[in-house]
This record gives sequence, structure tokens and C-alpha cells, in this order.
Amino acid sequence: MVDTQLSPDVLRGDPRLPKVPEPGAMVIFGASGDLTARKLIPALYELVARRRLPMEFAVVGVSRTEMSHEEFRARLRKALDEQRPGGVSGEIWESFASGVFYLPGDTNKAETYQELKGFLKKLDVERGTEGNRAFYLASSPTLFPTIVERLGEAGMNRGENGGWARVVLEKPFGRDLASAKALNRDIRRYFEESQIYRIDHYLGKETVQNIMALRFSNSIFEPVWSQHYVDHVQITVAEDIGVGTRAGFYEQAGAMRDIVQNHLMQVLCLTAMEPPVAFDARSVREEKVKVLKAVRRIPEDEVEDFAVRGQYTRGWVWGEEVPGYREEKNISPDSTTETFVALKLHIDNWRWAGVPFYVRTGKRLPKRVTEIAIQFKPTPHAPFAGAENLEPNVLVVRVQPEEGVSLKIGAKVPGSGFEIRSVNMDLLYGTAFLEEVPDAYQRLLLDLMLGDPTLFIRADETESAWDILDPVIRAWTGKEEIPFYPAGSWGPEEADELIMRDGRKWRRP
Amino acid sequence: MIGESRSAPYGGARSPGQIERELARLRMNEDGSLGARASVLNLIVVTSEESAPEVGRVVSELSGNYPSRAILMISDPDEGEANVEIGLSAFCSVRHGMPGGSRNQVCAEQITVHVEGPPAEHLESLAGPLLIPDLPVFLWYTDGGVPGWPGCDGMAVLANRLILDSGATGDCEASLRGMAALLEQEDGVPEIGDLQWAALSPWRSLLADLFTPPERAGELAKIRRVEILHDRTGECQALLLVGWLSGALGWRPKSAEDTAEGRAFRFDGPSGDVTVELYRDDPEIPLRRVRLYSEELSFQVSRYGEHADARSTVMRGEELLGERTVHLGSSGVGDLLGEELRFLGRDETHGSALKSVVKILDT
Repeated sequence: MVDTQLSPDVLRGDPRLPKVPEPGAMVIFGASGDLTARKLIPALYELVARRRLPMEFAVVGVSRTEMSHEEFRARLRKALDEQRPGGVSGEIWESFASGVFYLPGDTNKAETYQELKGFLKKLDVERGTEGNRAFYLASSPTLFPTIVERLGEAGMNRGENGGWARVVLEKPFGRDLASAKALNRDIRRYFEESQIYRIDHYLGKETVQNIMALRFSNSIFEPVWSQHYVDHVQITVAEDIGVGTRAGFYEQAGAMRDIVQNHLMQVLCLTAMEPPVAFDARSVREEKVKVLKAVRRIPEDEVEDFAVRGQYTRGWVWGEEVPGYREEKNISPDSTTETFVALKLHIDNWRWAGVPFYVRTGKRLPKRVTEIAIQFKPTPHAPFAGAENLEPNVLVVRVQPEEGVSLKIGAKVPGSGFEIRSVNMDLLYGTAFLEEVPDAYQRLLLDLMLGDPTLFIRADETESAWDILDPVIRAWTGKEEIPFYPAGSWGPEEADELIMRDGRKWRRP
Repeated sequence: MIGESRSAPYGGARSPGQIERELARLRMNEDGSLGARASVLNLIVVTSEESAPEVGRVVSELSGNYPSRAILMISDPDEGEANVEIGLSAFCSVRHGMPGGSRNQVCAEQITVHVEGPPAEHLESLAGPLLIPDLPVFLWYTDGGVPGWPGCDGMAVLANRLILDSGATGDCEASLRGMAALLEQEDGVPEIGDLQWAALSPWRSLLADLFTPPERAGELAKIRRVEILHDRTGECQALLLVGWLSGALGWRPKSAEDTAEGRAFRFDGPSGDVTVELYRDDPEIPLRRVRLYSEELSFQVSRYGEHADARSTVMRGEELLGERTVHLGSSGVGDLLGEELRFLGRDETHGSALKSVVKILDT
């Protein structure tokens, strides 16, 4: 009898069947924290329920808190039930939870890792996880270097028996260029870049990925997407909420580290990048890095001409009076942490030479919105009487809350004469597709297990972003004065002046 | 007009221009502004008078995910006198709970055309002018019969994809053979989809998962026996599953026979004989269980009686090596049709499974 081998993909090689990762275990450090219960476990449960993870999948939580496997599972189940009352299937949860485990341990101590290693080997045998491991660092960023070092010392930077090992880092990736470089260096002592997955959940959002779809699957936009036709670009990432429960983190980070260094820079890259030759990790990330490298560095002594920060004071948002930043719980009454940042950036390359990119983000702005507005140059000549004041075309790509595209065009007002008015043409993607949008973490965790880092951030991306922002951060450090803006406004007056100096004005999103 | 279905009364033949204007009027908001329409496809449905209400309901529900223009063609060519009645409706639904707490509104249009007498032989002349330009056209024959060829060529030239239901006729073998014959046609036949094949997708995915671990992938070549439990309505799914497995795993058919419990097939597999047994089951579940045996292991995917969940297990004798429970998903007509509407290209795997089925039946 011939013992014929068949390709393992023989049943899976059908584009209509979803890709399912290889067997593997996900280890979550900082498992007793909020992120695990609120984001990671719900996303994993959903992936399991929807048949997107293999049967041979296990989760191991690691944290200081003393807990049994059962207590850990019960805690996660409670959080899941709170999140989706009545939406959790008992049978599916039991099936998923039978592969969820907990190891209490001090992540500073080598013994914890020896115990973890033994436990994972046991799972390889008992649950068929095949020596594949993803280590998710959901703990405090200060622990990242230690955890990675201990993993390396324990030999867990390689999978068992030829399996793979990947490490996932949550933002922030450092506090500045020097610390980001140090962190990358520390991690790369034990893990190769191809094993490192830096997660910015913004990239997992369908809406953010749609920026690429809009640009690179519609040939009508690409020819006008350059300095030939574009006057300037405005990118807004606005939040209506205050600092909330994140006071401790936010006081140290501020809007620059919380939003600009990661989310805003990523949106800038996706807006300005050249078309990648393929939608794969290398091609996409290569193009993003090129954009960041082309962003003109702001000289430290000229920061005031290119950057504005602000902090919200008491004001009204959506009919509600809200406290100022310094009045918030656990915030220093003389804090100079910025809750608003506006920057004027130039991208010195062939496509964007001379086109300013005005970017801004802030808390307690009038509404929550993320959008990219491409303002085109005016027509070279208006043949219609009275058309001198006609507004230029603006293409707005709205990422949230209502994803869509809007194009402002000039149109004739019906009747005699030739009066031209600007008209907004709106397309909400939601009116074309009502399909349930997967949560960003679902997408990213699945990509992690599949070994696809396209939507994760490479070391040179994060370092380049810091390199752009470092001079601004340095110039602001130690300054005791900060411009204020009332909650519910679009930022301090200085932000308006920043753009008005160029004869332009901020859009009202 | 959110959540409100608006209809225009049935009337005699109107021009396509009049129909467009009437549809725009139905989409109009109370303030006189026109509700935006963002359509992704055209769906032509050929159905009978009896099935029309149910089909209309399915299409309306589907519009939430696939904003489209649906054209329901209800034809009776046996009526002597020519008569065309046209009804129009528009429906906008809203989805809450979008990211950021926003809501989305999706509008869909439905045109119902009752045709009697000679025009019923030329449905394409009515459906064609009503299509939204530049969007793909799906053509769904709800009553199961594989349309004769070239009998359906008038309608088929309008369509990018023909959606059939091999399980709807009661003669599964004939349906599958008919579809395979359509696939053999060289020119002018649109791509073909089958709701019974769409229903198999989760089953195929779960079966493929069982062999994902490298140490179990080798078991695929050692499969000796397969048991499939299905009810009367699941016969086509069972046959298509056998066609898929035999084609993918390189089994050559040797014999086919009817048994007291169902059917039995024998194959020449890459490492010996393979037996496949189809058992008719009583409960009204199209596909209840699939079990594959290799020399040492058994692999099973089974559906819970009441739930849309499935349990997969891997056993060595009585020892349970692995198990899990997942959502199998709904297999209602609307869900299966939705699954087919996602797919535009040629489904090579379906085509090859169909060919294998015919080969097996011809053995």
C-alpha cells in the first residue's frame, strides 16, 4: 500500500473558505487588567465562535494577582456578559473557556517564565498547540523590556520544536525617539523584527483601511492626489470626551504621545503614501516609512511657527457643562499637559512638495470625528460672472463616526443666468454596506495568529514618527505656560493663527 | 421614510422612465429631499405566484446587507392573454450600534412584475431596461428547476451570476446533473451558484480545520470511511460534500448503490478503498453529522438539534483528543442567498465538486 501524502491545504484551498491560523497559544501578560477583559477576550471569543481560530488554540493569562483558572474564566465571562448581555452562547463559551488558563506570577522573576514554559509545553501535548506562541504584552509599558528579556532568557523567543514565537506590544512605543530606540533595541536582542507586532488598534479599523481602498482601487482619485491639484490637506482626530479614567497615563503622555505619535501619523501615512506594489507587510510599511522620512523636520527654534498646543478649560459640550482639564480627577491643578495639538507639516517629496498638511487632535472638542480633507486648488479661471468667490473643491474622507466620502463641487443654480453654488455630494459607506464591522482587535488578533504584520507598525515607522515630533516635545518641555481653549470649541486661538498665517482656515468638520 | 415600506399600487405597463420617477418619489423624505441610494447590485428573481410572497419577504430582509434593486418576475406563460402588472416599493432600514454610536441607513427598491401570456416568454425584455447600470446582476430562480438551455438564455445574458437551489425540486440528482450540464456549456452561461453549496461552507470549513495540525494532515490520505447523516432536504448537500471530498482527496469512484438507509459509494483512494455511506435521518435538519474515519482516528462535525451551533471532535477509539463548539450560522434561504451574493467570480471548487458528483452517480 502506498502511503500518499496530501497537501494540508487540499481542503482549505478555496477562496470561499476563511483562512484559519495554525494551532497556537496566546499568552497575555497583564491578564488581570482592563484590556484583557474589555478587548482581548471578547475579540478572541468572537473569533472562536465564528470559526476563525483552530480547535487547537489556548489562552494563558499571566499576572501578579492570585487566581485559579476557574476564577480567571469566571471573571472574563462576567466581563463578556456585561459587554453583550444575552449575546454569549453557553456552549461556545464553555468550549472556548476550556482552553483559557491562568498563571499567577511576578513578571520580573525568572521562575515565572520557567513555570510558563513548562505549562505551554504541557498545552502543546494536551491541546495540540504545536509549539506556537504569541506573547501579548498588555501590561505597563515599563515592564516591556523586562518581560522580553526574561522570555529570551527562558528560550521562549523561539517556538518549541520548530514552532513560531511572536511578541505583541501595545502603544505607547517609548516616550521619545531615544526611549523608542532603546525599547526596540531591547526587544530585538531577543526577537527579530519579523516576530515583533506593534499594535495600534486604529489600523485594525475597517474605516482606516478604507482610506487605502479609496485611494488605490479608484483610478479617478490618484491623478489628482498630488501637488499639481491639491492646495492643502487637513487631518482632524477630534474627541468630545475628557481625560476620563486615564488621568495617570494622560498626565504623562498628553495628546502628542497619546494620539499624534501613533494614530495621527498613521492616518497621515495612509493619506500621503505612494501606492504599494502589493498589500503585504513589506510593501505597505515600506511606503509608510518613506512618507515619515520625507516629513520635513521642524527646527527646535521654529516650533512656534509649526506647532500649537492647548489645554481645555471648563466649557460646554453637547449641552453639558464639563470641567476643565486641571479640574479633572487625579490631574495636577497646575498641569501643563497638552490636550490639543495642531501641527503644520510638509512632506518633501515629488508628490507633495509645497502642499502643507495641517493636522490637529484634541480632547473636549465639539464632537468626535476623524476626517481627512483634501482641499483642491481653485480653478485657474472662472468664466462665470460672480464666480470669483466660488469655494474650491474639497474631498473629505470621513473615518468616524459616519464613514464616507464627501465631495464639494460647484453646480449651476437652476434658472436664468449662470449662478454657481457649492454643493456637497455625500456617500456614506454605511448606506452601501450594512455588514457587521469586525472589531479592530478581532482583525488584528487574527492577523497576529495568521502571521500577517501588514497592519502592525514596524520599528522604523515608530522611530521616524518620534523623530518628527521630538523637537516639538523638547521645545514644549518645561514651559510653564500653555494656551487654553474652552471645552466645546475647536482649540485655542493660536491654532487658528497657525493656519491663518498661510491665508487658510480650519474646516468645521 | 426610515423603517417604512412605501409602495405604489399595482398598475398596468408603465415605461421604464415612469418607473424610475415613481421609485425616486417613494425614496423621498418628508421634507421633499431625495433619500440617497447607494446600490451594490441588481437581483432579478424569477418565481411563481405561490412562492412570490415568501420570496418578496426574503429579498426585503436581504436589502439590509445588500442595498439593491430587486426585480421580482412572476410569470405565467400559460395564460392566453398578454398582461403585465407592475408594483413598486422602496424600503429603508437603519442599523444602529455602528462604531461611534452612529447609525446607517440603507435603502432598497423592489419592482414586482406580474407577466401573463406571450410576454412571459420574453422576461428579459422587461427586466433588462429596469436594471441599474454598471452594477452586477444576479439572477435567482427560486423554484429549483435548472432552467433549460438555451431556454433561459434571454435572461441569462443579462446576468453575471445565476443562483439556483438544487435542493428545491425534490429531485436532487436531476438538479445536480442539470447544473453540471450548464457548466459544460461553452458560451454565454453566467457563473453558477447553488444555495445548497453555500449551506455547506461552514461544514467544509470545520472539516478542513480538523486536519490543520500538521500531525493530522497526513490522516487525510488515510481516510477509509465516511458517514453522512442528512434528512430529505439535505440530500444535495450530502452529495455535494461527497463530490468535494472525493475530488479534493483524489478518490476515484468504483461503485454506487442505494441501500435501505440511503446510499453507499465506494472509491479507490490514494491508499486503499474508501467507503462513503449516506444515511437518511428523520429530524428535519438538512445535514446532521459528518464523520470521517482514518485507520486510527475518527473526525466528526455534528450539529445540535435545536441550535445553530456545531461541535467538532477528534477521537482515537474512545479517547477524545480534541473538541470545540462554534456557531454554524443560519441556513435560512435569505442567509444562503446573501452568501451567494457576496461572490461574483467562477467558483472552481463548486464546479469540480459538481463534476465529481456526476461521475459518482454515473458509476
